[in-house]
Amino acid sequence: MSVGVSLLKKTAVEADTFVQRLDGRVKFLYFLWATVIVYIFYDPYLNLIFVAVTLAMAFYARVAKPILQTLLIIVVPWIAFAVPILALPFGFPWNKTIIGYIDVFGNKYPVYLEGLGWGITWPLRIAVAISSALLFFLTTNQAKLVATLFKMKVPFKLIYMVVATFQFIPLLAKEAETILQAQVARGLRTDVGFVAKIKNYLSVVIPLTLSSLNKVQIRAITLESRGFSAPVKKTLLYEARLMKIDYIFLSLMFVSTAVLAWVYVNIGYSPIAGLSWIWGG
Amino acid sequence: MSIIIETKDLWFRYPGIDTWALKGINLTINTGELIAIIGQNGGGKSTLAKNLNGLLKPTKGVVLVEGLDTKTTPSHEIVKRVGYVFQNPSHQIFESNVFQEVAYGPRNLGLSEEEVKDRVRWALSLVGLEGYEDHNPYDLDYGKMKLLTVASVLSMKPKVLVLDEPTTGQDHAGRHLLASLVKKLNREGFTIAIITHDMRFVAEVAPRTVLIADGQKILDGPTREVLYTVDVLKKAAIKPPQIVQLSLALREHGFSFSSLTLQEMLDEMRKLIKNP
Amino acid sequence: MGQRGNEKVIIVENLTYAYPTSKDFVLKKVNFEVHRGEVLAILGPNGSGKSTLCKSLNGLVPHFYGGRYGGKVIIDGQEVLNTSVSQLATKVGLVFQDPEDQISGLALTVWEEVAFGLMMLGKPKEEIRQRVEEAIRYVGLEGLEKRSPFELSGGQMQRLAIATVLALRPDVIVMDEPTAQLDPIGKFEVLSVIEKLANEGSTIVIAEHEIEEVAYFADKALVLFNGEVIAYGPVREVLRKVDELKSIGIDPPSVTELAHAIKKELGLEAEYPITLEEAVKIYSELLGVS
Repeated sequence: MSVGVSLLKKTAVEADTFVQRLDGRVKFLYFLWATVIVYIFYDPYLNLIFVAVTLAMAFYARVAKPILQTLLIIVVPWIAFAVPILALPFGFPWNKTIIGYIDVFGNKYPVYLEGLGWGITWPLRIAVAISSALLFFLTTNQAKLVATLFKMKVPFKLIYMVVATFQFIPLLAKEAETILQAQVARGLRTDVGFVAKIKNYLSVVIPLTLSSLNKVQIRAITLESRGFSAPVKKTLLYEARLMKIDYIFLSLMFVSTAVLAWVYVNIGYSPIAGLSWIWGG
Repeated sequence: MSIIIETKDLWFRYPGIDTWALKGINLTINTGELIAIIGQNGGGKSTLAKNLNGLLKPTKGVVLVEGLDTKTTPSHEIVKRVGYVFQNPSHQIFESNVFQEVAYGPRNLGLSEEEVKDRVRWALSLVGLEGYEDHNPYDLDYGKMKLLTVASVLSMKPKVLVLDEPTTGQDHAGRHLLASLVKKLNREGFTIAIITHDMRFVAEVAPRTVLIADGQKILDGPTREVLYTVDVLKKAAIKPPQIVQLSLALREHGFSFSSLTLQEMLDEMRKLIKNP
Repeated sequence: MGQRGNEKVIIVENLTYAYPTSKDFVLKKVNFEVHRGEVLAILGPNGSGKSTLCKSLNGLVPHFYGGRYGGKVIIDGQEVLNTSVSQLATKVGLVFQDPEDQISGLALTVWEEVAFGLMMLGKPKEEIRQRVEEAIRYVGLEGLEKRSPFELSGGQMQRLAIATVLALRPDVIVMDEPTAQLDPIGKFEVLSVIEKLANEGSTIVIAEHEIEEVAYFADKALVLFNGEVIAYGPVREVLRKVDELKSIGIDPPSVTELAHAIKKELGLEAEYPITLEEAVKIYSELLGVS
């Protein structure tokens, strides 16, 4: 099960598409590459293209839903707030090109290109980063993730801490539920004021934390007893190896980079929207 | 004897799960009774117990606590009548001293500080922890922590006490202590239901035993009868205590024994020797 | 039971230990030996030092905990004080009380979990495959290889822990109250595996409260109280010391205690049984005669 899936537990079926089969390093590289490119360029349309491509892969890999949900929570409200604030007169110091007018409460306000551009481009850049990162996360099998990080020479103990935590989150949730039940059995009430609600919160969080710390300790001695700290090279069951599909994908990325480089040099950093550079843009 | 808790055709399943955890359970508990609820994990005994104090509500059927329907009565009214002591003390303990811990329940009931102090003192002395008010709960050994959780539920003065696997993780001395405590509390008027798979504990403590398997009530009667119903227990994969096993084996050699405890067996042997 | 060799796999000499955070010694001059193929039961109330003793056999005490350490623990010729916990992992396999707390969290399947120790020790893949299959079969978990460890029942999870340890082929298997958190079926499953190990000649040290079960397969018993050894010897001898055991809060098997009570209260002398089968024979004879 991929790390993300076990965390979210929303996808019932683990698909086996080319996305899942891509090496973790390639997907991670895609995330870095896409994020950097949309930062070098300043063009909301380009960002949209990247988001669309990422989402298309996500749909094919059956992990689109959680990504869309995340984008919906983070990016859409951002655009919805940013655009009115920045595009209208009071928002943005660099506003100078008027592209139209809108009617608000009987008054006509000019809409500026600069603010609009900023208000859309930045959130979309974040959308590219989030969607490509989540794609990596949700389609990379836990064992492959461990193998990937191991190949990247990340210290084994660190890999363990990151990966194992995800496995234990559902257990933690279950325990929290039991603790809550135990406190309800002692009269904890949810129909109370703010101060009492804090006490309620503590009555679950404190036992949960202490219990978790205790379990962590027991798990640590179990791991030690199974040779966790042995100063040898660990044998991993999966080998992170680049396959044909990885090379194809990498070639596509390479070609796209070449094309984009040509576009940057000959057309500019805002090839489609034609926005002009703004400090911080 | 008046009925204090009654379930009528209780059916229950957890949200999102198709299989029924409880299938048509009819259980009557009278005031002052001391009953053991036995059965394999996953068979429904904990689920049943949590339906008795309103933590879980019936999917079909009715659960009445002192005549109150658990589906329509607010939880806090049910909870103050049926106290539930959870299996793992560290799931309940969160205050920094014993007094605060035992005071949590009565404070939730909205009692005055005077009343709360009285209740704490009373509950602590009942379980044998007087003088421990200022102790840090985490400095206590497991056995005392267990007593603390019982006290912190007792301080709410419920009429019924449900104990969930009280002997798990205990050593023999701890088990004996709990057995005396349970018997004492029953004598003081508490109605007690113990969920357990410690058959020796059942034999030594509970006059009545209920067997829950596969969501259904399979046996319900005097402990002696239940623990001697060999074929049913075998099917439920439950082994009676060694003394009962010994009695059954000796029966095959022509002796008639029906002891539950060591003392009973001794007495039966004494009688046998005097009148062969 | 399995063949008992003369080779001493475990030698504990005057073991004395205090955890760094406490001033009290939790083990005081503990002495005992375990021969190859022997099963030693460690009995004692909570707080008597059983867990600490188990942990001192694989080096957790003192290497993981620190503290004050005196005396010697020698495993298969190597002194624990001078050997790291990971080096001892292939000599001493330690199984703990709570099955869920022993799941590594790194393995997605039962198969991977059993392979965990071997992976940590960097064993080659072919060796891993062979040993994992062997261990899974031994504990009776065939068919469950692809399940998530978290989906197992308590008894299955604890057998999984045993398999993970068996895959390392240790000389000694140490178990700290392995059935305490299990329901009756789980207890039965785990005790069956332990009995199988005992009958096939494994060297086992087991701390348990389920004294009536342990009586069936233990060769020797060691009784701890407040960190000191109160009794040590063949299991039959130790379990028959009814008064001594009861005085420190340990119940011998009911059938043993019964014989003691019969002697004290009815004045009848009979050999003290330690298992049900022995009891049936002894008591039916006794009553038949009377």
